[in-house]
Amino acid sequence: MIHFVLLISRQGKVRLTKWYSPYSQKERAKVLRELSGMILTRGPKLCNFVEWRGYKVVYKRYASLYFCMCINQDDNELEILEIIHHYVEILDRYFGSVCELDLIFNFHKAYYILEEILLAGELQESSKKTVARLIGAQDSLVEDAKEQASSIKNMIAQATK
Amino acid sequence: MGSQGGFGQSKEFLDLIKSIGECRSKAEEDRIVLREIETLKTRLSSPNTPKFKLKEYLIRLLYVEMLGHDASFGYIHAVKMTHDENLLLKRTGYLAVTLFLNEDHDLIILIVNTIQKDLKSDNYLVVCAALNAVCRLINEETIPAVLPQVVELLGHQKEAVRKKAVMALHRFYQRAPGSVSHLISNFRKRLCDNDPGVMGAALCPLFDLITIDADAYKDLVVSFVNILKQVAERRLPKSYDYHQMPAPFIQIKLLKILALLGSGDKKASEQMYTIVGDIMRKCDSTSNIGNAILYECICCVSSLHPNPKLLEAAADAISKFLKSDSHNLRYLGIDALSRLIKISPEIADAAQHQLAVIDCLEDPDDTLKRKTFELLYKMTKSSNVEVIVDRMIQYMISISDSHYKTEIASRCVELAEQFAPSNQWFIQAMNKVFEHAGDLVNAKVAHNLMRLIAEGFGEDDDAADTQLRSSAVESYLQIMGEPKLPSAFLQVICWVLGEYGTADGKYSASYITGKLCDVAEAHLADDTVKAYAITALMKIYSFEIAAGRAVDVLPECQSLIEEMLASHSTDLQQRAYELQAILSLDANAVEKIMPMNSTCDDIEIDKSLSFLNGYVQQAVENGAQPYIPESERSGMSNISNFKSQEDHESSTHALRFEAYELPKPMLSQNVPPILASSTELVPVPEPSYVSDILQPATSAPSGSDAGPSELRLRLDGVQRKWGRPTYSSATPSTSSNDAVKIQNEATQRDSVGMSNSKARDVSYDSRKQQVEISPEKQKLAASLFGGVSKSDGRQPSSSQKVSKHQNPTSDKSRAAKAAAPDTAVVKTPQTPPDLLDLSEPSISSSAPSVDPFKQWEGLLDLKQDPTPVSAGGVGSTETSDFMSLFTDMSLNVPSDGVAGTMPNVINGNGLGGIMADHSAQQLNKGPNLKQALEKDARVRQMGVTPSGQNPNLFKDLLG
Repeated sequence: MIHFVLLISRQGKVRLTKWYSPYSQKERAKVLRELSGMILTRGPKLCNFVEWRGYKVVYKRYASLYFCMCINQDDNELEILEIIHHYVEILDRYFGSVCELDLIFNFHKAYYILEEILLAGELQESSKKTVARLIGAQDSLVEDAKEQASSIKNMIAQATK
Repeated sequence: MGSQGGFGQSKEFLDLIKSIGECRSKAEEDRIVLREIETLKTRLSSPNTPKFKLKEYLIRLLYVEMLGHDASFGYIHAVKMTHDENLLLKRTGYLAVTLFLNEDHDLIILIVNTIQKDLKSDNYLVVCAALNAVCRLINEETIPAVLPQVVELLGHQKEAVRKKAVMALHRFYQRAPGSVSHLISNFRKRLCDNDPGVMGAALCPLFDLITIDADAYKDLVVSFVNILKQVAERRLPKSYDYHQMPAPFIQIKLLKILALLGSGDKKASEQMYTIVGDIMRKCDSTSNIGNAILYECICCVSSLHPNPKLLEAAADAISKFLKSDSHNLRYLGIDALSRLIKISPEIADAAQHQLAVIDCLEDPDDTLKRKTFELLYKMTKSSNVEVIVDRMIQYMISISDSHYKTEIASRCVELAEQFAPSNQWFIQAMNKVFEHAGDLVNAKVAHNLMRLIAEGFGEDDDAADTQLRSSAVESYLQIMGEPKLPSAFLQVICWVLGEYGTADGKYSASYITGKLCDVAEAHLADDTVKAYAITALMKIYSFEIAAGRAVDVLPECQSLIEEMLASHSTDLQQRAYELQAILSLDANAVEKIMPMNSTCDDIEIDKSLSFLNGYVQQAVENGAQPYIPESERSGMSNISNFKSQEDHESSTHALRFEAYELPKPMLSQNVPPILASSTELVPVPEPSYVSDILQPATSAPSGSDAGPSELRLRLDGVQRKWGRPTYSSATPSTSSNDAVKIQNEATQRDSVGMSNSKARDVSYDSRKQQVEISPEKQKLAASLFGGVSKSDGRQPSSSQKVSKHQNPTSDKSRAAKAAAPDTAVVKTPQTPPDLLDLSEPSISSSAPSVDPFKQWEGLLDLKQDPTPVSAGGVGSTETSDFMSLFTDMSLNVPSDGVAGTMPNVINGNGLGGIMADHSAQQLNKGPNLKQALEKDARVRQMGVTPSGQNPNLFKDLLG
């Protein structure tokens, strides 16, 4: 089971956190501090795994972003590494050659995508097509809503002119 | 649209992110965030804020909380937004609550109603959003409120909903197994779902269920094997392929389940051999995912009923892992080796494995090193324990992470206790562990050590015992000088010095007492150590008196005693007064109180105090009230029980109504005097009541019935392991057998000793002289692994063979290693280019001098490679008979013949059109240079890019 997912930049800035096991705010801050200290300092050629408090943290660096997932001792580390990659590939398709900026400004979209891939700490869907279809369906709704919103906004703008 | 920035966010939000990115210090960032929080507070609570603005504020709030600030004031707005009719807002609301709230938050009760309503919605996207929230937020108490609806959704027409419903039920099962125990059959049913995604989701709960009770699911073995077979034969839709492997994540999950079902079950295992073997053969070992499956196969093989062919294949795969240059694969190789070694120990004989393991042990990567120690821990035998523990201790000394230090220290202790070849070695090893991690190990270990020194080899070998003790004394006298020693270790030192410091006459009493005083003075804050020290002094002096020598108390001892007499701790006072009293007694009395070498004597305790019978009799005759046992004073006892309970609850404030415990040291005067020396085995009975170390002391003399047997140190059987084979009752010892064993031991110890010192050398200069290492490494290998085959009772000739073979083969493998880099270089281009690993350090670091646009072009070229593959996957109309497979299964007819004839509706071309559109879009999206440039332009417009001349998108702009 995956206990949490973290996206940390090379400078230690948090880009996304998703907790599947209960952690209080205090614990979350502590986890982030400990792990970013541990992972960001690791050399490039070492394993992509670190043992931490009886769990294992699998991480992978993409450009300046570290994707980390915390798993149980008996989980398959390589599989998790590929789940991370699976997520990144889907992000890449969605944003069109994704970069860190996309994830900063549209972090809520990254969350929506993650919600379609992982649920309750397990891999929910391993087909990229299915994920893309669901996200697409949700986005088309958003487009509708946005049109509405902007028309309202225009009306307000005109009224206040 | 002036307020809209380039990323679909408002200008304000972009400004916020920008200013945070440009912060020079944490304080500055905090200031900005706090200002933002104030803004959000007023805006969110203002009634005039339009709804679509609220949504953005909520997202900003999420951002603030992600930066580690408290956003709890806005939680209620998130909850409110989930009530909204507009799906867009509702979705944002759900996202916010799942991120903000834990499942025990008070606000959840306000959401349950909304969730209930949304689960019934006609729009499946609403249902999906609600189910996502269900997985995160519903706790044990609220499960019943949504359970019926979730169960109903298992039959929903949209597969996405069914899938999420399965996951939600799984979550409920994890939270409160009782609440869904009647619904478990649903998981079996979903295994036969038409949609592979739903089937894959159903594997998660089934895995959990099978972990708990494999027997109830043995009937599914055939189904699982069948599914796995079809997955491996690419019967699933192409969209489940990942890097050219058919549905690898589902394969891994299935292999995990098969491992559970086949464990210890020959019949079930036999059904799986073929498919597991097939998958291992098919695995593409150049891709990561292929290796992930391969690793899972090895895990599966190691838990199935052993099958020689599969074991061989697994061993091959492991050796490939170990030879790999990738640290990840070597890590997995080590892990797999430690799994396989349990069922086929001979795998460790392979020389190339041994060298690979030693390489891993000396690798600078901590993760790899620790995994290797785990492997060594699992393969420790009495023949290689010295090398392994020595290595572990060296590593333990070098790390600072206390969590792992504790673990490795306790492992050292465990191994040393189990396999120690000699007591002397044991003491040395324990000394090292104590010296460096004494405060982290269990207190029992200290008691075991003292007990070992006291009891020695056995009753009939006094010479060896004395030698052991004097060597212990000697080593302690050396170590004592160290400035910082853990308390537990000092206690052991004091005790041993007190008991045996002057026993062999090598050291004078004044020397030892001087040392003990030093210890007590150096640790003024530690009452326990002081108590041990003063009791040790008492013993030394009384041995001197008993031997008829004149005692001269050193001035520093005198001052120490005086200080103790006035100590705040009554226990220390007590001991000091006793010491004073003993000093004034004559030799005869002292000999009675403190007999030499009496630690191991049993102390007989007269529990019924029969020697007082006469006195009691007399008192009763004189008219005293006879004693009534507590049990007979029933009314009283209830009250006192009640009181005592209360007492525990409010221990510090309330008055104690019970009698105080008898002070322990008093016993040394009442009860036969020998006791004094035995009570010291445990720390001082300070008035700090219930520390579990204390228990043996309190319970033994007072004679409570249940206590002693439970609380005493568990040493049963330990001595037998330490002792020589002669004493072990397990072996039906024939004298010849013993002789051989002893000889063996001796020779082994010699060889191990040599390699031991060599090994240490290696670790010092291993980095400098790579070339010269190999013979030493081989020796280390021999001492680590050679022993394994020997102790397994192999024929001596075979083990010789192994060692003979070892040299040439290992040389060869070294040579192969030297050649390895070349082959590795050749290999790398073959691996499919990593989609997104584009600007790995190598590229980005070269950036400054290169024109960034050129660089992109390079990146995009790389990208074009994999895209056609995925596009092809989308376009092709795969007519899978997957559905028929499931219908087959539900009929329990595991045949493929029927499958082809079934018409396929679900995965047919119906969706093909949509998909084609999508793929076209994606093709445009992926490697679009123009888009990337536009993005960059936008970024620059906003002024987000730092001042550097290189607008490299992949560089962190906020640095």
